[in-house]
Amino acid sequence: MNIFIRLILILIPIIFFSFFYLYINDDDYYPGADFRVIDMPKFEINDLYKDQRFTHLDLEGSYLINVWASWCITCRVEHGFLQKLSDQNIPIVGLNYKDDKEDALNWINKFGDPYKFIIHDLKGRLALDMGVTGAPETFLLHNGKIIVHYRGEVNKMIWNDVFIPIINKEDIFNND
Amino acid sequence: MLIEIAHFLSILSTGLFLLCFLFSFILDAKDIFAVNLISRIYSRGFLLLISSFMIYVWLAANDNFNVLYIAQHSNTNLPLFYKISSIWSAHEGSMFLWIVFLGLWGAVYNSFVSNSQPLKAKSIGIISIIAVGFLLFLLLTSNPFETILPIAPFNGADINPVLQDPALAIHPPILYLGYVGFVIAFSHAIAFLITGDSSIKWENLVRSWSVVSWVFLTIGISLGSWWAYYELGWGGYWFWDPVENVALMPWLAATAFIHSLRVSSKSSLLRIWTILLSIIVFSLSLFGAFIVRSGIIDSVHSFANDPERGLYLLGFTGFLIITSMILFSFRLPILSSNKTIAALSKESFISINNIIFGTLIFSTMLGILYPLIYEFLYEQKISVGAPFYNAIYIPTTILACLFLFFSIDSKWQRGFKKSFLVTPMFISVILSIASTFVTYYLLLITDLWILISIFTGSLIIFRYLIVVKDYFLNNKYSNPFSIIAHLGLGILVISIALNSELSTERALNIKMNESDMYRDYKITFDDLRLIKRSNYDSVRASFLLTGPDGKNIELSPEKRKYFARGQVTTETAIHLTPLKDIYMTIGDQLDDGSWIVNIQFNYFIRWIWFSAIMMALGGSMLALSLVRSKQ
Repeated sequence: MNIFIRLILILIPIIFFSFFYLYINDDDYYPGADFRVIDMPKFEINDLYKDQRFTHLDLEGSYLINVWASWCITCRVEHGFLQKLSDQNIPIVGLNYKDDKEDALNWINKFGDPYKFIIHDLKGRLALDMGVTGAPETFLLHNGKIIVHYRGEVNKMIWNDVFIPIINKEDIFNND
Repeated sequence: MLIEIAHFLSILSTGLFLLCFLFSFILDAKDIFAVNLISRIYSRGFLLLISSFMIYVWLAANDNFNVLYIAQHSNTNLPLFYKISSIWSAHEGSMFLWIVFLGLWGAVYNSFVSNSQPLKAKSIGIISIIAVGFLLFLLLTSNPFETILPIAPFNGADINPVLQDPALAIHPPILYLGYVGFVIAFSHAIAFLITGDSSIKWENLVRSWSVVSWVFLTIGISLGSWWAYYELGWGGYWFWDPVENVALMPWLAATAFIHSLRVSSKSSLLRIWTILLSIIVFSLSLFGAFIVRSGIIDSVHSFANDPERGLYLLGFTGFLIITSMILFSFRLPILSSNKTIAALSKESFISINNIIFGTLIFSTMLGILYPLIYEFLYEQKISVGAPFYNAIYIPTTILACLFLFFSIDSKWQRGFKKSFLVTPMFISVILSIASTFVTYYLLLITDLWILISIFTGSLIIFRYLIVVKDYFLNNKYSNPFSIIAHLGLGILVISIALNSELSTERALNIKMNESDMYRDYKITFDDLRLIKRSNYDSVRASFLLTGPDGKNIELSPEKRKYFARGQVTTETAIHLTPLKDIYMTIGDQLDDGSWIVNIQFNYFIRWIWFSAIMMALGGSMLALSLVRSKQ
């Protein structure tokens, strides 16, 4: 009887921690990442440079959508890696989020432009529809559907852990 | 340069703490020279740690945006106070503060407690190894000293505006002081189990430390609740947010622990409970750190994250807790007492109290885990909210109050006498029934649970008022700290019941210079001003409320737009009366020029925090008297 009680006392925390270990090692689990497939919301928003209109129809095929702002320090840290992705011919669309047009343009002039084009979401309406909570956040868009939503800075580790598996699986960005 | 020095100091302190842990287990803990050595190493280690932190505070105060974390969370436009509090506004800095507080509790303990105390060397060693574990976590996975050289940004990114608030600036430090304070009780419990000498009264050594930590925890949680009420603009005081629950569980366990500790320090009864609870309190504090910092749960409190953090924290807390439980289960025989607990003695009521609090902790844990288990098995997200917690907490708390009511007349170590069911009890029951009927007729309350809650709350208040009367008029001694804290509980139960029953709200559409009616009040939209401040623009509306007594009240809710993050926040306007708060927020302007205004009458909400203050007051007075009696 006494042995039984002792075993239970030890087993309870072991089971408890094993569950959490399995949970955070689950394939579908990665902190900050959401792999649920949702439709890309419809939108019509101005380009940051000119008054050219962009809509969801301009996003045919596969894109990364990167939410950034000039007031976001982490976006600056992330910027170098985005430039590398862009050098590998990965199409990235910038979603400039709740930002002053002047500030955003200065920022791009200063640090470089890894984006195919940048849409200027001044009020954060589109970002709200997409479930953005802050900046930076990055989406993987494939045939009109969002298949990855990552909250936080994308760097080499995140790219390899979160994006690469699904890119290989769905055979996206096949450049050759 | 300063950044590197601070970084280096914290690495050095990790080394000293590790040395301290090793010595405490290698050297003979009965040898006074060994204890002196361990104690000295610990205080040097802490000196390095606190110096490192003070340099960090200096860097933050002077806008050193070479430090990535400071650049991300502070801003040149911020007042000095918020530049400093921005340190604990996100993960890395708040973890740093958490560790500094852990070290601080150890240091205060180290300097106040004599080196001849039998458990001192081992306790300091255990505190040190916990500090080492978390310092490594900080330095390896969440380094606050990371820099963005060579080009530092000119201006920082700013602290989240809803955190720019005095209550929220002090909420995390006070809460952390409470959580990590229980490291003293935990380390003694483990040291006691390792030593295996049941004649050592470890309970007496930790009582004052535990009560002080409990007070910090109580104040910290109430501050958070108060802040959420006036800053977020939803008008509630508790949202059953997962992280609130994670903070509540250690408080529940701590409350059971300090009650159980009272019994064990007196008679060595309930020792199993007391040791187990001391492990559970600290484990739940660590579990809270894991949940919040691993990003497992979506919450307003969660931090941005990477997976290594969760894995590290899980590994380290798992190691601490599983080792503690193995140790505990092997030492079970020395913990059991050959004395039995007399039925209906004070001890028996406290063990019932332990079971009740255990039930609350278990159910809360279930509420947190259920969505995770569900998601793990079925890959769907669900959430457990207020209805679940209300269904558990309301009846269980009422049960706890009823047992408390009976326990007031009980005695230590013996059952009740014939005079147990005596007049004071009878009088309180009559008075409580009467007051419940009065509220029923005056306020037309029909909800049975509300009426039962009012009845139980009144039972406790009336019974303790009789105790107070006997204390002053008949010189009958009772524990004044317990009276104050439990009167607080009675007030808490009644105010929560009345708050949920009576509070009302409505959204109005109102144009400038027009009026509308809400309940007995005439509301006139008086003025609208634009205000420019150094870090935000604001729209401030002024409303005149004319009450039934003809008096005018001015309320000016605000809406702010912060430049640095483009974030919009609402500033509520609140008018206080003894029984209710009149609470206003403004929303958006509609196309026809009218504004959406939300008005709430929140009844008895101040009394909820007042009751928490009473509990904390009872606790602090108890702690003070415990410290005095030791000297």
